[in-house]
Amino acid sequence: MPTTDLTQIHDRVRTVLEKRFGDAARALAPDAELSAALPGFDSLAALEYVSAVESEFGIEVDFVADDVRYWFSTLDRTATYLRERIEDQAA
Amino acid sequence: MNHDVLLRSSGVVSGESDLWCTYAAVRTLSWLGRTGDLPSPETVAGFLASRRNTDGGFAWSAGMTSDAWATYYCTQALAELPADVRGTTGEASSAWVWSTLHADGGFAMTPGQTSDVWATYYAVRTLVEIYGERPPEALFDWLAALQAEDGGLAWSPAHAKNGTSDVRACYYAVTAWSTATGGRGPLPWNRERLTAWIRARQSTAGGFTFQAGDTTDCLWATFRATGALARLGERPRDPEGCVAWIRQRLHPDGSFTRWPGYPVPDVWAAFCAVGALRELGTDLDEVADGVVRTVLSFRTPQGGFTYRAPGFASDVLTTSAHLLAGRFTDAGARDALRWTESCVLPNESGVMYMPGRGSEVRCTLWALSAGAFRDDAPARAAVADWLTDAIQNPDGGFGYWEGRASDMVSTCAAAEVLRLTTGEPPAAALHGIAGYVASCETEPGRYANVPGGRSTLRATLQGLRALHRATDSADGARVADALARHRVRGGGFANEGNRVPDLLSTYEAVLTADVFGLPLDAGHLAAFLDSVRTADAGFAWTPLMATSGGPLADCLGRRLELRLSSARHALPPLALS
Repeated sequence: MPTTDLTQIHDRVRTVLEKRFGDAARALAPDAELSAALPGFDSLAALEYVSAVESEFGIEVDFVADDVRYWFSTLDRTATYLRERIEDQAA
Repeated sequence: MNHDVLLRSSGVVSGESDLWCTYAAVRTLSWLGRTGDLPSPETVAGFLASRRNTDGGFAWSAGMTSDAWATYYCTQALAELPADVRGTTGEASSAWVWSTLHADGGFAMTPGQTSDVWATYYAVRTLVEIYGERPPEALFDWLAALQAEDGGLAWSPAHAKNGTSDVRACYYAVTAWSTATGGRGPLPWNRERLTAWIRARQSTAGGFTFQAGDTTDCLWATFRATGALARLGERPRDPEGCVAWIRQRLHPDGSFTRWPGYPVPDVWAAFCAVGALRELGTDLDEVADGVVRTVLSFRTPQGGFTYRAPGFASDVLTTSAHLLAGRFTDAGARDALRWTESCVLPNESGVMYMPGRGSEVRCTLWALSAGAFRDDAPARAAVADWLTDAIQNPDGGFGYWEGRASDMVSTCAAAEVLRLTTGEPPAAALHGIAGYVASCETEPGRYANVPGGRSTLRATLQGLRALHRATDSADGARVADALARHRVRGGGFANEGNRVPDLLSTYEAVLTADVFGLPLDAGHLAAFLDSVRTADAGFAWTPLMATSGGPLADCLGRRLELRLSSARHALPPLALS
């Protein structure tokens, strides 16, 4: 069963960001706004981020119903969103 | 009247830096040996670097696709800045430039597009001057085919067969040849006929025009003519008269204006005047301080430059967006429309993005949709003539501006402009549009932005609308099929696939459905608008972004709200990308 441990989810999301943003993602505070903290985090990068998270966790995000601009705006929020999705899938 | 309207600028200022303005400013300072006067070159470098895409090319604005024009301007301007602030342009950019090479030996503005001399010039300069690489041998055959019957050079080999020579095409082609060969290779054209054609564009007043038949000399044409002649080892027919004409464009404030009667010193006039005086071997010391002072006053907080003092730097797209969104008082709207209508060059009847810049098809559509020339039938007729007589390409399509290779966005915009400006466009022009659209069909009912490209929702809808406007031959069932393929379950439409909706695709989806009389799912559209509405009462381009996408996004969102209202306001026929 996929883990719902928030720390592990956090680490996997950070790894996703590191692949694109390198050192800036490694030093990222969990509650930092990605658009402010990561140089070049524009709408295209945001889309790539969501797609990479989908691929990493095997989920499909609903871009209209899921309030993606909130849940994918910080590392913390993304991890929380993913834990809920994983728990929903397991239920 | 235009004099005062332009001087006061009653349009809307976006406040943003512009890439072409930033390039022109940095090059001007460099030619004057004054880049050291830039107070914070790192902010200029930051603005230029922000245009870089992950494919290695650069885009006109963040989020757009890479093109040869932006890639040259960004890399060249970065190269002019101090080494410690410019960063690395990287190998990836060279690879991207090579991806625009066309099989015919010319280069295209974007990969897969038809080659034209604008793109070829930018690509060759980037390859040689930035990356130290050599263009292919086939380039010279392509350049050779640009010479038209009258001796001048045209935008492409196909344009040359039609006999459309232009001073800018001469400069871009001659400079591409000179850059590729160091000016030492065999000249691919008949020198005497080419030199004579360029020299003949000089008027008795001393300045140059772009084309035979143009009536008003301008600094841009003068710069390009003197540059082309210098690379050919030639001079204007009357060099002293040319220098005198350029000096007459010097404004009391210390910099230059574009043409006689135009009141505003702008960054392109400074760029063209300094460039032309340099080509003519004139001492620049006398004008340097005034030009530097003026150009530096065009900096914006974003890091780059705009075209004039930032508080007055209105542009047509932002102004049209405000008009279309109903954000003016009645008096303000009248002033804004008058300013928009003044954004027309002496020799080109389309509307410019910024005054003094060059007419653009999409800007013309936004301006007309916002109400420009609504009560001026001769002006509307002139716009239609500009489209069909001057800038329609030999393949029947339209590019962003004169000489640019065709694309679906511009071709659809042109079809809409013709509908707004003339009751009966020439049949040949309409058949040309239909022919170009057909060349972009990837499979029945699906279209790409350029021939051989990948089909997308927006290109498909633009193609079907262009066919509908041009020949009334499009089938509503094709529109319904496209909308079904790209409908996002929760709300809105996606340009590719059916998962990520965006504002522009959704706008074009509703617009096209209305044009073809297809039903609107109001709940589906409302859900999408909720997902892109922002806290500051604006609209984001996609549900991923928390902040407004700017005046154009706010305009499209507002117009969709009005479409959903009980009054069911019709959507203006806008196209953007």
